[in-house]
Amino acid sequence: MILKNKKADKIISVYWFAILFIVAAAIVYMVISFYGEPYDVREAEAYALTNKVAGCLSEAGYLKEGVLNEDFRENFMEECKLNFEVEDVYNWKEHEQYYVEINFYNFSTNQSISSIKKGNEALMIDCESKGKIFSVCLERSFYTLDKEKNQYQINVLSIVRKRDKNVQ
Amino acid sequence: MRRMIHKKGNILTGNIIFIILNLVFLSILIIFLFSKMGSAIVLEEKYAKQIALILDSAEPGMIIHLNMKDAIKIANKEDRDLNNVISVQDNIVKVQLGEKGGYSYSFFNDIKSFIHLNTSSFEEYIIVMGDYN
Repeated sequence: MILKNKKADKIISVYWFAILFIVAAAIVYMVISFYGEPYDVREAEAYALTNKVAGCLSEAGYLKEGVLNEDFRENFMEECKLNFEVEDVYNWKEHEQYYVEINFYNFSTNQSISSIKKGNEALMIDCESKGKIFSVCLERSFYTLDKEKNQYQINVLSIVRKRDKNVQ
Repeated sequence: MRRMIHKKGNILTGNIIFIILNLVFLSILIIFLFSKMGSAIVLEEKYAKQIALILDSAEPGMIIHLNMKDAIKIANKEDRDLNNVISVQDNIVKVQLGEKGGYSYSFFNDIKSFIHLNTSSFEEYIIVMGDYN
C-alpha cells in the first residue's frame, strides 16, 4: 500500500513538472510575442496630426483668416508648422510616411469649396483595407464659421504609414 | 522505530527537493519576465515613441517633465552619460541607453525643443519647448 502511494506520488510530481513546463512555455511565448512586437503608436500620431491641422485651420470655433486663400494652400506645411521628414531607414526617405487631406464644404449646400493635399497620396489605397499591416487612416470632420458667419464643414483625413517601426 | 524515522526522513527530503525545484523554476520564470519588461531595447523604443508623441502635440512655451527612472537606472549601469540619453536632431528623437544601439522615431511638429536632465532628482527629463522652426 505504502509502495503504491510512493509510486503515485512520483507520477504526480512528474505530471506536476510537465504542467509547470507547459505553463512556463506558454508564459515565455506570450512574453516574447508581447515584448518582441513594437508599440503601435500610429493611431495616436494620426489623432495628434488631425488635432494639429484642425487647430491650424480654426480657432475658438472660427475659421482663421486666409485659410481659404491660394497662398495658404501652397504654404500649408509652413503655415501649420508641419514637417513630414522621417528617419532614413526602411527606404522611408523615398516614400513619405504621412498624408493629410483637407476638404472644405459649404455647410448649407454641401458643395466643395476647396481642398488641401500634402504628403504621400499613394497611402490612400491603404484606407480601403483593414489590418495592422496597412497605414492607419483617421477621418474627422468639424463645423466652423468665418467672420461673416458663413458656415463650413471641414473634413480632415490623416494617414500615417510607418509600418516597419510599429508592426512586425 | 529506527525504520520509521528513516522513512520520515526520506519523505521530508523528497518534499524539500520538490519545493526547491518548484521555487527555482518559478524564480527563473520571474527573472525572465522582469528582464524582458525592463530591457534597454524595450525602454528605448517606449521612450522614443513617447517623446515623439509629446513633441507632436506640444506648443511653444510648454515645459514637460518626463519620469524616466527605469531608463536612467539602465543608463547608469551602462555608464552612459545621462545628458546624451535623449537627443533631438531636426525632427527625429533618439533614445540611447547604452554605448551602442538606440532607437529613433520622427515627429511631424516643426518645433524646437530642449531636453535636459532634472539634476535635482536625477529621475526625470525636462522638455522645454521653444519656438516653431
